[in-house]
Amino acid sequence: MARHHGPVLVDTNVILESHRIGAWAALAGGYPVETVEDCVIETQTGFQRRRAEQQIDAAALRASLAGIHAPGDREIAAAVVRASDIALDIGERSLWAHTLTRTDGWVLCGPDKASLRFGVRLGYRDRLVALEQLLKEAGYRPKEPLKLAYTSKWLEKTLGELVLAEEADRT
Amino acid sequence: MAAQLIGARIKALREERKLSQDDLARVFGFKDRQTVSAIETGERRVTADELLLAVEKLGAPLDYFTDPFLLVGEGRFSWRQTNVGSGVLGAYERSAGRWIAAFRSIAPQVGRASPLLRRALGLTRHSRFEDAMEAGERFAAEFDLGDVPARRLTDVMERELGILVLMVDAFEGISGAACRLPELDVVLINRHEVAGRRHFDQAHELFHILTWDAMPPEHSEEAKEVGGNRVEQLANNFASAVLMPKAALARYGEWAEFGDDELVIRLNTAANELMVTASAVKWRLVALEWLKPARARAISDAALRNNGHEAPKSIPPLLFSKPFMEVIGLAVDEGRISTRRAAGLLDLAVEDLTDLFVAHGVEPPAEL
Repeated sequence: MARHHGPVLVDTNVILESHRIGAWAALAGGYPVETVEDCVIETQTGFQRRRAEQQIDAAALRASLAGIHAPGDREIAAAVVRASDIALDIGERSLWAHTLTRTDGWVLCGPDKASLRFGVRLGYRDRLVALEQLLKEAGYRPKEPLKLAYTSKWLEKTLGELVLAEEADRT
Repeated sequence: MAAQLIGARIKALREERKLSQDDLARVFGFKDRQTVSAIETGERRVTADELLLAVEKLGAPLDYFTDPFLLVGEGRFSWRQTNVGSGVLGAYERSAGRWIAAFRSIAPQVGRASPLLRRALGLTRHSRFEDAMEAGERFAAEFDLGDVPARRLTDVMERELGILVLMVDAFEGISGAACRLPELDVVLINRHEVAGRRHFDQAHELFHILTWDAMPPEHSEEAKEVGGNRVEQLANNFASAVLMPKAALARYGEWAEFGDDELVIRLNTAANELMVTASAVKWRLVALEWLKPARARAISDAALRNNGHEAPKSIPPLLFSKPFMEVIGLAVDEGRISTRRAAGLLDLAVEDLTDLFVAHGVEPPAEL
């Protein structure tokens, strides 16, 4: 597959994992990385929902991003009515609400199965990418191994399962 | 399901505002009320613009219409508490309502729907206390609760009756609650109470679940093993008999013949073995007329405190329950709820959520 050069939309999990393994600079330097305001908030201490929280400098994070979006009720409503049975967290929902407004060549990196299922249901399977793939194509080799849910192999397997699950739900 | 949820919430709010379907049709700009009716029943999908119109015109936030993890006028609670203010109770009820609503919404999606039919006891508020005790005895026998009924009670409630039993971290003073939804029965128990009190609360709430239609309980009642209004007294008699059947108490000998010191020892021993409080054993013996009320009152509370132990020997049970965590785990694994959302729902860090899955013997989702 050719290296992606367009916008990369990332969620809170990806920002946290990239910082944990020291790969954020490589990711944000290799692609125009964008996210939503809710995800930026969720990367800050007190909102990470992690036992050991990382110190992520908000100003530096904002400066490294190519775009930070803040979808309103209209965009959120448009996303929710299409799959309100999939319970996303605030940042994940906000990211998809923004993503659905775009017409350019975006890809989305967010490893949670619910977020992936949302993408599969709405027909965006081919736009879902693994952090491992993005880092590899940017020429970065993580010194610390990525958690399983950020690997290309796991994503491929999971997307296959979700496609089948969605088909089963429809029939 | 999405269309049904949004439609049901629109209907609930319309009724709360005392609007007719014709009124709402005018608000939405529909030609007739049939479109409103179709939306409310879920036959017709709501568009994003209509949803925004509902937010604006009905004055409720977007999440009110779209968040399946909310109870909107559906759940009826009955709390057992001691000196807990209505504000605190209300705040806790909203938290508990989210767990219950989440389970109700998710369980059918992962193949764990509640039973179609409900069991009920044939008692009314006019029943005698003896009738409630007899029902408790029969419940213990018919569901084969064994020599120590408290040990199997949760399992029977979950597997045989389809009741969701949740061990929770509640504010001090809240012992537990029964909650009834149209499609689900739930019992909440404060897991930090001593074991004997937890078991009594659970059997007491079981009575409310099994008699809810015939004698709906008060929204809030004081947690005590004796006294209260008639329904509470019936519930206490039932709970005592479930946890302390006659046969289980008879094996300790002729209670009326024990001297004072021996009586205290036997009460504490029976309580420890039956996993109840010694005070509950004492009042159960009075109800059976195996102990005179005056003699029961003469036993000092101090002698029975902590069933004769220095301090309560109690490790709290795991948070929530295995069936609950299995449903959450399946939903995360199937991509029906995100891990962050699940962790937020249960007010846990993602790693703590993983640990809780493992502690309950549930396969944890992929680490994020």
